[in-house]
Amino acid sequence: MFKPTLLTAAVFAALTSTAYADSITGTVTDAAGKPVANARVQLMGASGETRTDDNGRFALANVNAGEAELHIEASRFAHRNVHLDVPAAGLDSLSIVLLSSTIETIDVKASPFHASATESSLPVNVLAGDKLKMRQAATLGDTLKNEVGVHSNFYGGVASSPIIRGLDGPRVLITQNGLDAGDASRVGPDHSVASEASTATQIEVLRGPATLFYGSGAIGGVVNVVDERVPTDNNTRAEWMLQRESVNNEKLAAGSIVTGADNIAVYADAFWRDNNDYSINGFAEAEPEADALKGKVANTAATAKGFTLGGSYLLNNGYVGLSYGRLDREYSIPGHAHGGHDEHADEHEEEHEQHGAEEAVFADLTQHRLQLLSELNFSSGVIRAVNSRFAYTDYEHAEIEAGVVGTTFSNQSTEARIEILHRPYQEWRGGLSLHYKHSDFDAIGEEAFTPPSETEKLALAWVEERHFGHWLVQLGARIERVTIDASDVLLPDIGAHGDATDEHDHEHEHGEGSDFIRVFDVRQKFTPYSVSAGAVWDFSEGYNLGLSLSRSQRAPSASELLSFGPHIGTASYEVGALFMLDDNEFVLNTQPIELETANNLDITLRKFSGNTGFVLNAFYNRVDNYYYQQNTGLYAGDGHDHGDEHSNGDEGADEHAGELPVYLFTAADVTLHGFEAQYVWQINDPFKLTLQGDYIRARLNGGGDLPRTPPLRFAAELAYEQDAVSADLRASRYMKQDRTAEPETATDGYTLLDASVSYRFDVGSSQLTAYLKGQNLTDELVRVHTSFLKDIAPLPGRSVALGVRGSF
Amino acid sequence: MLQTQVKTKLSLVALLIASSMLTACGDSTTNIVEKDPIAVDDEHDHDDDHDHDHGAISSAGRLVISAKDSNLVSVYELEDGSLLDSFAVADTPSALAASAGKRYALVVQRTTDRVEFVDGGLFQEDHVDHLHDYQQAPALSSFVLSESRPTHITSTDSQTAVFFDGDAASGTPAAVALITDADITTDSNGYPVLKYSVNMHGAAQARGEYLVSTVRDADSATTLPDKVALYHAHDDHFDEEMVFAETCPGLHGSAQNAHVVAFGCTDGVLLITQQGESFSAGKIANTTDFSDAMRIGTLVGAKHAEHFVGFAGSNMFAIHAEDGEMDLVDWQGAEGAGIIGYGFADNGEKFVLLDNQGYLTILNYHGHAHEGAAEAEEPAFAFAAKVQLTSADVSTMPEGSRFELAISASDDKVYVTNPIDSTLLTVDITDAEVVATQQLNFMPHKLVWLGIAEAAEAHAH
Repeated sequence: MFKPTLLTAAVFAALTSTAYADSITGTVTDAAGKPVANARVQLMGASGETRTDDNGRFALANVNAGEAELHIEASRFAHRNVHLDVPAAGLDSLSIVLLSSTIETIDVKASPFHASATESSLPVNVLAGDKLKMRQAATLGDTLKNEVGVHSNFYGGVASSPIIRGLDGPRVLITQNGLDAGDASRVGPDHSVASEASTATQIEVLRGPATLFYGSGAIGGVVNVVDERVPTDNNTRAEWMLQRESVNNEKLAAGSIVTGADNIAVYADAFWRDNNDYSINGFAEAEPEADALKGKVANTAATAKGFTLGGSYLLNNGYVGLSYGRLDREYSIPGHAHGGHDEHADEHEEEHEQHGAEEAVFADLTQHRLQLLSELNFSSGVIRAVNSRFAYTDYEHAEIEAGVVGTTFSNQSTEARIEILHRPYQEWRGGLSLHYKHSDFDAIGEEAFTPPSETEKLALAWVEERHFGHWLVQLGARIERVTIDASDVLLPDIGAHGDATDEHDHEHEHGEGSDFIRVFDVRQKFTPYSVSAGAVWDFSEGYNLGLSLSRSQRAPSASELLSFGPHIGTASYEVGALFMLDDNEFVLNTQPIELETANNLDITLRKFSGNTGFVLNAFYNRVDNYYYQQNTGLYAGDGHDHGDEHSNGDEGADEHAGELPVYLFTAADVTLHGFEAQYVWQINDPFKLTLQGDYIRARLNGGGDLPRTPPLRFAAELAYEQDAVSADLRASRYMKQDRTAEPETATDGYTLLDASVSYRFDVGSSQLTAYLKGQNLTDELVRVHTSFLKDIAPLPGRSVALGVRGSF
Repeated sequence: MLQTQVKTKLSLVALLIASSMLTACGDSTTNIVEKDPIAVDDEHDHDDDHDHDHGAISSAGRLVISAKDSNLVSVYELEDGSLLDSFAVADTPSALAASAGKRYALVVQRTTDRVEFVDGGLFQEDHVDHLHDYQQAPALSSFVLSESRPTHITSTDSQTAVFFDGDAASGTPAAVALITDADITTDSNGYPVLKYSVNMHGAAQARGEYLVSTVRDADSATTLPDKVALYHAHDDHFDEEMVFAETCPGLHGSAQNAHVVAFGCTDGVLLITQQGESFSAGKIANTTDFSDAMRIGTLVGAKHAEHFVGFAGSNMFAIHAEDGEMDLVDWQGAEGAGIIGYGFADNGEKFVLLDNQGYLTILNYHGHAHEGAAEAEEPAFAFAAKVQLTSADVSTMPEGSRFELAISASDDKVYVTNPIDSTLLTVDITDAEVVATQQLNFMPHKLVWLGIAEAAEAHAH
């Protein structure tokens, strides 16, 4: 095994009389002295950035005299920070040596700090390039599910969203180019994320509290989908892909192009996906009914299309750009078949499909997204750069049942974030961020479990970082004001009831509820704050230790507070924290609504140079007033008309047919802790082995576990890459999860085997890649513990995808 | 079964209930206003007694309790005994008193010349056709009074008079601030203040735009006043209307009911009777029940009670102003029992006495006892029960501490803090028993009840 025996790389600065005034020139080489081409050389705390040429040479102009810090990174090499004392005359012939690395280092765009998998106090994942193209799936959750520390809450392949360290929903923020996705996906697992992976250039995950940069909704982490919709240069380039997948007959076409002239850059992308119900090796239901059909999971078809147009004006000191995107998606909602309606499946496939088309519930979503992004750098004055992001999204999705719109969710959101970065002061780099977000959320219809609400957030954050020798110290604080206004919060008497003993009384006294619904005008105001301190210690060449301590607060979301109604997506009757149970009856909660407060400790140990590398991460997250859905043991109607037979029939088993268990959002203290480990070994030139594992334990401090916690997972991936061929073989072992919350059941472990092979070739000036991708090759019937649909929608069976992609 | 059409009626009955909660740490607020309910079709018959309002607003009220030798005051919700919040005031409170509307606790810091206000969070607003109940989280008000030596606090159901004794040592004269709950809520500075030219250990009673307050001769050897004057409020100050000729030597203690203001004097009880805008003075002299050393030094009154209660040491007198009578009440106090807490309770139906031996004495009050002339002199206050509050040895009472009493204005509970074991006792005075004992995590010092008082009209005598 290769050992990093190199001493601190030779970094020397020589003064020469021929040096350009106030410039730095130099050469980047590898340990063997060979030049490293296309390495990025950045002048930290300033706007200077350049790339090395084929001979490894670079030149940075307009460097001020005094202390300076260079950051150099290149693909397959470990990053390096070089501290310099630049004389007024500039520096010439700087020699920088990079050590090879097996760990991909791609900068995260979601953080105002410079961050990548190997150099940040908080752990990050970045999925980009070919890897992203191979992993992209119809849903964001399924795209990211193989990332360490990230699971999917698998929702029948139509609406899966990522779970970061056991947290999802309102605790994981999904952003597009750093701005809120502006959809309804944080409200229910059956609501699709309004973002597309096939046209993205990079998807990054911040694991752990990122409230500092993103506010309340990011207490568990952030998933940022990055694309070039506002281009920052106008070098003409394009990417496209075509793919066909066997398990659900998915057809995908996607492409994007950047071009322009003079000071103008333009961007366009488009995609189209269409899939049928997917196949499985068995029955969809864990306990199939006598007439159940084998081999398919009904209501998992989807079709989606979208396009984006953008343009930028490129300035000498930055850019200003505007983009418009439209997304349309129609997807069936599995598990939306309601108790009470017995769907008598037909024997004949065609008829079944027709029948399904009539009876199925599907969602039809449309989103318009407008983004304005700008970065402006200033060469003098206190302010070094101003980065601005504005977005307006208009989102709507209708849930259509038997051809009739049942429930419509809409969300109009406006967001603005302005970062003002100062010129380094005493070597401190950083600045202020002003952030505003307004969301007008409506849900209308029979499944409108959340009343209309307006949420407004205004925040001021401050971040600074500085190198002290081998230590990088990162500090930040944020104060936010969150207001939630809802003028029509409903409190019906739902006649919730327990089990058999009460039933007859209940029938007489309450019937199906009382004769009026109480209505409240609710105004909430919260002022959560976040503080964080992090450090990265380069304690030895090629190693570092990251440490992050943070305290983050989250205001409960409108749906966690105000909900009151049946939510078929989670198969539960949801009641918000504004209410409480008083003797089997819901009343207004007289207890104060507390902020959720997470105290998080993260420790990361990395080795990032040489033939082996690893990233080991352990975290301990104590969350006070964690809002979770507590099972009340009661049942209430699902809001659908059941012909009022509500009979307390003879069959005990059918007692709660057409009824849903009632869950009440309750605040309790919880502790989440776990680890993530990744080990990469470049065995020899073509072969690379990656081992990874993650584990999370999520428990209530008062005893008990949180539901749908990801199980312990290990994965091994052997990758081959030589000449025109690359291939990989991946085995993922998910262990049994038996730490459950009532009435959740334990889930067996399983192993998934995936493989892919790609062949690269050129046609004219285009580089093309043809690929074959196999998933679940052993055709396992897998039930996912983190899924709300565990018992009715297993993972897709064996699937083979054939695709071709190209770029120029 | 025939359907009953309740729904239309219900939509006409505006069930407007509002509540508002403010959380403990002050970093989140909730404001809830109940709107007209939506009537829904229902095929089932309903009993009309289904109460849909319960649980929203605390009817038991709240307690504000200060800690011994500490500047912390804590607010407890009496519905469930929960600690809602604690606040740090400037200095150790010398006394706690309730504001006129029983929304605020006056946190009196006598020696440091300061009165701070804790908003208990329970209050009503007059919405013309109904009284609107509100429930919020407690909060420390920004309203502060800072005249010299705040001492006696008296309240009617709409006004609070804070008597500032002033300080002879520094030559600071006395003053009276007359405030309403609205002044506190709006952090007003437009309330009227009576400024004296001398200091005194006095007392004032609010009578709407009038104030009946004490007068001390600047040359007097004692800080106790000996006269009473009538003042009339004009904007931010009071004008003296008249000084009553009837003197009240060694004046200490005052009270009022619907028509009469009473002051304790060494020689009897001075009574100022108001009829419309005219005020007249009279006196009930000490009776033969009084020894030479005895005098009324403490007076208790209630708006709808015909009688005042006067204390001369541990002797209790029922004082009927209209009849000019002053009768000794046998409260069956134990030997050596000193009265340390007292007041009308259970909406004026009862009178309670807390003594330093750890007993709560409950007397039934019959405000109109004198009317039935034919009836044999049934006493106005009749002994009902005595409740032993603690089995602890009262001689172990910490230095500078004593039992303290707070009386609910909404129900038949009174609350006693016991510093010996730092507990809060809830006493049901109808059943004459301690119904709850709550352990406090600090040694209690003073306490006061806040909340929405039960409408007095409902219990007319």
